[in-house]
Amino acid sequence: MAANFWASSHSKQLLEQVEVDVVPQLDKDRGVTLDEFKLIKVHMTNYIWRLAQYVKVRQRVVATAVSYFRRVYTRKSMTEYDPPLVAPTCLYLASKAEESTVQARLLVFYIRKLCNDERHKYEIKDILEMEMKLLEALDYYLVVYHPYRPLSQLLQDAGLPDLNHFAWGIVNDTYKMDLILIHPPYMIALACIYITTVLKDKDKISWFEELRVDMNIVKNISLEILDFYDNFRVIPEERIAVALNKLRVKM
Amino acid sequence: MEKYEKLEKVGEGTYGKVYKAKDKSSGQLVALKKTRLEMDEEGIPPTALREISLLQLLSQSIYIVRLLCVEQVDKNGKPLLYLVFEYLDTDLKKYIDSHRKGLNPRPLPPKVIQSFLYQLCKGVAHCHSHGVLHRDLKPQNLLVDKDNGILKIADLGLGRAFTVPLKSYTHEIVTLWYRAPEVLLGTASYSTGVDMWSVGCIFAEMVRRQALFAGDSELQQLLHIFRLLGTPNEELWPGVSKFRDWHEYPEWAPQNIARAVPTLESTGVDLLSKMLQYDPSKRIEAKEALKHPYFNTLDKSQY
Repeated sequence: MAANFWASSHSKQLLEQVEVDVVPQLDKDRGVTLDEFKLIKVHMTNYIWRLAQYVKVRQRVVATAVSYFRRVYTRKSMTEYDPPLVAPTCLYLASKAEESTVQARLLVFYIRKLCNDERHKYEIKDILEMEMKLLEALDYYLVVYHPYRPLSQLLQDAGLPDLNHFAWGIVNDTYKMDLILIHPPYMIALACIYITTVLKDKDKISWFEELRVDMNIVKNISLEILDFYDNFRVIPEERIAVALNKLRVKM
Repeated sequence: MEKYEKLEKVGEGTYGKVYKAKDKSSGQLVALKKTRLEMDEEGIPPTALREISLLQLLSQSIYIVRLLCVEQVDKNGKPLLYLVFEYLDTDLKKYIDSHRKGLNPRPLPPKVIQSFLYQLCKGVAHCHSHGVLHRDLKPQNLLVDKDNGILKIADLGLGRAFTVPLKSYTHEIVTLWYRAPEVLLGTASYSTGVDMWSVGCIFAEMVRRQALFAGDSELQQLLHIFRLLGTPNEELWPGVSKFRDWHEYPEWAPQNIARAVPTLESTGVDLLSKMLQYDPSKRIEAKEALKHPYFNTLDKSQY
């Protein structure tokens, strides 16, 4: 959205991994483990992508929506903030913030289409109510920076513009993790480029060296992404169901 | 909202009334901006959301009006949103008016013009460095604390973060008098230049105590500009005849800008002429303007 990441509220809100990997107490009380907590976030990220395809919004709207979603759960519990409602509402809010507003009724229509579960058939008023709650939870900080723009610029600089499509796909996948809450977007972009050069067998070591960035961080982010590919490529439906059911148990 | 005591209505913003109020616990004066929340089908208006997120982004600068907090209240089951801003006692329009009319008409002190313009350029440079165009700069949108000589940019509702390359934005955005010629001619791409044109118009208005180009229609507005700066042609402004709304106009020769601002010193006239360049790519940027010799006599250490 804007040109200067370092002066932005986004940069001031970056968190440590240990701050992100915390299951809120209310959810813990219901027996939700850290793994399940992460799993629900991956599942809901996919859900936001699918909804976004139906309502036809740009990629950055989706990326912003997922960033909101993940930021909310560093502050609120899933018990109080029902993920199946928070996810589409994040998309709704992001579409407004990114100036390509999606009508609430359209969103409600596709939620009904995508969801078989009667409990998730939300009304417009549910979305609007949740919108207000989310704004408060996000403290009205709505500007999010993404790795897409630095990615294209960096690839150009590295002389690899034709790998943009491939690397872009990896950036998309990073939203299934919490990286956007933890690292500056250009570092995520660099990690995606690093993976791309390794997989596509391009020797760009000297280019990386000239960048004067901490390569250890870039490599660590890369490892996390690869680790994610190993562990979350397929998410078993039944594990999701178990996790979501824990949230619904009346205490 | 019990925290605040409403004192008086001070204005009508783009999407709601603005009240002067007092924070009961601290005694601090604030401006409460009620957003007109039409909670029909679409919740919070995107314009309000946009302003809030831009303000959160920009409000760290002392040249931008500070958003203190956002309050959600429930009124008869309908959610209302109040933006709580710091309070400044007047705006530049009222300030200029007070020097033109009333009991004691007098020019604005040159030192004040210089200082206000510097603060305005600081604020605009801050917006631009964050990728945000204001797009509606005008004296009414510049708040003034006259006792302390402070000026701050307000009403970022139309501001919009831009990315490079610039895309085509919707038209009809800047108040006519401060509207850049490329906007009047239907440009497809907006740039930081639209704000700098407005800054130039505001600069001249502080000197003249009346608007530099006071058109009442888009055509009139263009003719006002052409009469002073000369009717542009391909030589003066390459590409001008390609604009969507370009027509044939009477051909005026450029006048000396200094004649429009007779009391302004020569370095000021030079700066003004750089802000009023036809070609937006040749128009001075806010950051450069801050270094212009016109400000050499200003004590910059206090900014």
